[in-house]
Amino acid sequence: MADHPSLSIGILITLAWRNLWRNYRRTLIMLAAIVVGVWAMILFSAMMRGMLDEMVHAGLRVLPGEAQIHHPQYRDDPSIANSLDAPQGELLQALNTPPITAWTSRVKVPGMISSERDNRGVLLLGVDPAGEIALGFQRENIVEGRFLESSEDKGIVIGRKLAERLETQLGKRVVIMSQSPDNEVVDKGVRIVGIYKARLQATEEFFVYVGRSHLQKMLLVGDQVSEIAMTADNYQDVDKWWPDIAAVAGAQTSTEPWMKLDGYLNSMLEVQGNMNIVIMVVIFMALSFGLVNTLVMAVFERIREIGLMMALGMQPLWILYQVLLESLMLLALGLVVGNLLAAITILPLESGIDISIVGEGLEMAGMGSMLYPTLAWQDMLMSTAVVLVLGLLASLFPAWRASRYNPTEALGKI
Amino acid sequence: MSRIFFSALLLTLSLPGAAQPDAKELIEKAMDMWRGLTSYGEMTMVIHRPDWQRSMSMQSWSEGTENTLVRVTAPAKDAGNATLLKDTNMWSYAPKINRVIKVPSSMMGQSWMGSDLSNNDISKSTDIIDQYDHRLIGTRQEKGHTVYSIESIPQEDSAVVWGKEILDIRDDYIMLEQQFWDQDGVLVKSFKTLEVKEIDGRPVATIMRMQEVDKPDQWTEMRVEQSQFDIELPPGLFTLSNLRNPRQ
Amino acid sequence: MLAWRNLWRHGRRTWLTVGAMIFCNALLVFLISFQLGSYSMMIDGNLGVLTGHLQVQHKDYNDESRMRFSVPGGVELAQELRDHTGIEAMAARGLTFALASSEERSFGIQIMGVQPTFEPLVSTLPGLVKEGRYLKDNAAEEIVIGSVLARNLKIGLGDELTFLGSGRDASFAAGIATVVGILNSGMSEMDRTIAQIPLGYFQDVFTMDASVHAVVVNTDELDAVAPVKAQIQSELENVDLRVLDWNELQPGLKQAIQADMFSAFVMYAILIILVAFSVLNTQLMSVLERTREFGVMMALGLHPGGLARLVLLETAVMSLIGLVLGCALGAIITGYFQSNGLYISGMEEAMDRYNLPGRLYPQLSALSLLAGPAIVFIGGMLAAIYPSLRLYTLQPVTAMRAV
Repeated sequence: MADHPSLSIGILITLAWRNLWRNYRRTLIMLAAIVVGVWAMILFSAMMRGMLDEMVHAGLRVLPGEAQIHHPQYRDDPSIANSLDAPQGELLQALNTPPITAWTSRVKVPGMISSERDNRGVLLLGVDPAGEIALGFQRENIVEGRFLESSEDKGIVIGRKLAERLETQLGKRVVIMSQSPDNEVVDKGVRIVGIYKARLQATEEFFVYVGRSHLQKMLLVGDQVSEIAMTADNYQDVDKWWPDIAAVAGAQTSTEPWMKLDGYLNSMLEVQGNMNIVIMVVIFMALSFGLVNTLVMAVFERIREIGLMMALGMQPLWILYQVLLESLMLLALGLVVGNLLAAITILPLESGIDISIVGEGLEMAGMGSMLYPTLAWQDMLMSTAVVLVLGLLASLFPAWRASRYNPTEALGKI
Repeated sequence: MSRIFFSALLLTLSLPGAAQPDAKELIEKAMDMWRGLTSYGEMTMVIHRPDWQRSMSMQSWSEGTENTLVRVTAPAKDAGNATLLKDTNMWSYAPKINRVIKVPSSMMGQSWMGSDLSNNDISKSTDIIDQYDHRLIGTRQEKGHTVYSIESIPQEDSAVVWGKEILDIRDDYIMLEQQFWDQDGVLVKSFKTLEVKEIDGRPVATIMRMQEVDKPDQWTEMRVEQSQFDIELPPGLFTLSNLRNPRQ
Repeated sequence: MLAWRNLWRHGRRTWLTVGAMIFCNALLVFLISFQLGSYSMMIDGNLGVLTGHLQVQHKDYNDESRMRFSVPGGVELAQELRDHTGIEAMAARGLTFALASSEERSFGIQIMGVQPTFEPLVSTLPGLVKEGRYLKDNAAEEIVIGSVLARNLKIGLGDELTFLGSGRDASFAAGIATVVGILNSGMSEMDRTIAQIPLGYFQDVFTMDASVHAVVVNTDELDAVAPVKAQIQSELENVDLRVLDWNELQPGLKQAIQADMFSAFVMYAILIILVAFSVLNTQLMSVLERTREFGVMMALGLHPGGLARLVLLETAVMSLIGLVLGCALGAIITGYFQSNGLYISGMEEAMDRYNLPGRLYPQLSALSLLAGPAIVFIGGMLAAIYPSLRLYTLQPVTAMRAV
């Protein structure tokens, strides 16, 4: 280097840049390859992220909530005997403070529903409709009539399939029956004020909604509830706050986060997460093949040019640096464009792609009919880092080979 | 003063052939007639299906509108099975398992002893009086008797699935028929008295049939063989311990 | 001919592109086999618990599981079917809702009457008995219950459990059985409500006579389900009986798998696009740098059409090599894992809980072998269209002057 003080980095950079654009068609093609690769990776991770999120959210809507409090024996034996007092004092305060964004309490006990022609075992849900909606009950699921209006509502909302089985309709009266904590049979006539649809028919046949106060009165339990459900709208951070709630709720209760309440969902999340990593690796590898391919070709086809430069006195090491620099510029450019392209295409789609065309099978599997790709800067960063590293590695071999050329040989090649 | 006046008024109203009787009263009297203050009966329950028929003999005791005890005496396979009703609670006993089980709400919809009556039907038979609003809708003459038709509509919050019930009650307070109608005005099932005899000085429905209207080949009949009313019943008859260890 | 020599003149470049194709194809073969293999595993795992692959039932039973919708002569029928189809894994079952009671409370449970010798062949539950033993004698008054039920009733091995329900003729049915085994399936719903008694005892208590509610069949492979179903259907003389396959028995399962397939397709699509792009790239460059050469050929009279065909041919040859070698490589890798199983850490314990094998076995089939590579081939050919089209714009004179 000391021999050629005039060859500074600056000049190398200029040279590299000009080299790139001398054969703009070739450069553009390579650029396109990189852009497409980067865009594909980011798009894929956005879609996967969206799908996972949707899956978890759908599951949390059903629980509902990210954490729940029960009587310690309730989960083994979900009867009215294992009830909790309505939240008060410290617990009430904790529930109304961030990070918790919404909570509700419900009575949830097995019972029977009868019409003139049939009777079936169901799960009676005594709810506060505002709370349910805050935790995920979707009003659009009501296909006839309305949802409950308050926790004092005297009506009942049942699933479409259940109405069919019972041979009853909106507006008619049905009788719900269950047991009080003293084991007395208690029952009540209620009018159907709404009919809902759900993903699975089994759900429609099993869950019925009545006003919480109304059910509490029927069951003679005063103020007590079966379950307190809450959410902080961020399913990945639940471990940060649920122990605090558990502490405040006291030793006579049992608080659990959704990961424990729906072990299946949790393990699905983990498995999918791991699969996604595998898939990303695979895509990177495919991309790197293409990348190596194009870079190698680019170098080899400029053999004559490189030979010329060497004949004119360029040191092999500088050749190496130059090739690498060209690669770097190309990669950088490709990455910038790729990231931008990804952002431009994904952000508008974040409001949801309607995938119901793909089949109602998806809806049944808990994916809903909308896909919400989610752009996350972590994904972009990772793609960028990987492409950069891979790209430079890929250029290393050809660059090194380039620097090893014998000028005369190189010049002679075509 | 006013009390005498009212009693006189009531007497007048309850005389056959007098001005229109009060529907609710008619029903109350029919219930009284059916159960008496206390009663003891021996009967056979016949369950008829398209391809088979089964009968069970049983004894039953009742007290007021709230206490009933039924014990199966034949055939051997079912003998000893018993049901106790107190208010709205029902217990079952089977000698085979030697246990008294309280019938939970999940079993209330099941058929009682395999018949066309459900546990619910059995335990709520007298509920009609207070849970419905009644009115007289017609009278007719039949075989020398006046028969009153009463329409009973369940009150809004009543734990009743029916749209309405129509009861035909004879002037001697025998319930000739109890019809169960759905909320669309379609008749679903009916409990009919097919034969009335005089036993122990009072008219008794001796054959009663419960049948769903759209299943003519399926029904359950209660055939009363013996009946005694307003007798003295041993104390402690309607208790769980008696259910398990009958002293009677 | 020319195409072949052209390819080998730029050996390295050709190999790189072909290499990309081989890699992609092999990957696709492996991944698709893996995917199909894991679906089989998911389905088998799920069905293996209780449902089985097929069931013979009364025609109305699946819709409304009433006691009276039964299969007459069920035990005999099961044996006949075993003999005629050669499948041992068939078991007859009775099923009903009943109440199990302790001193103060009753708990609703599902009582299953099972054939102790055959039930373990169609269900993983018998293998999940963690305390005591499974049922042995077909007439014994014994019962196996779930761990949560045992907890709720506060009973253990050797205790008596009273249960009551309705017989097939709706009569009162009751029994007392001794608890000989407690099972822990890891699924709380099941551990809370399932109880199993010998079929003979079940038929006695619930007045079933000789009938049952279902004959459950377990075929070894999912592919066997359709033919076995047809065979059994033809054997059934009773018009009141039906054979149902797992799709009808568990409607949500197929859809869950379809959802998973969707996300996999997305990934495959991306892979294929990348490879197609690579081909596009290569061919375009190749066309560009042989501009002079092509110019000469055109001047000598070769039509652009001929040149285009040349390019396409080159692409076809490359793609074919990529296809063949990729399929071969993919088949080898997949075959290896198919016999030895793929091990992902953490899965072993998770599976063990459900009495399922802890390894994943990809399944090679005609579909998984050819589907991916075929599409790559097509994609590659499509990608070569643009470069070959550019040939039409070549002016021989300018071309010959190019560098």
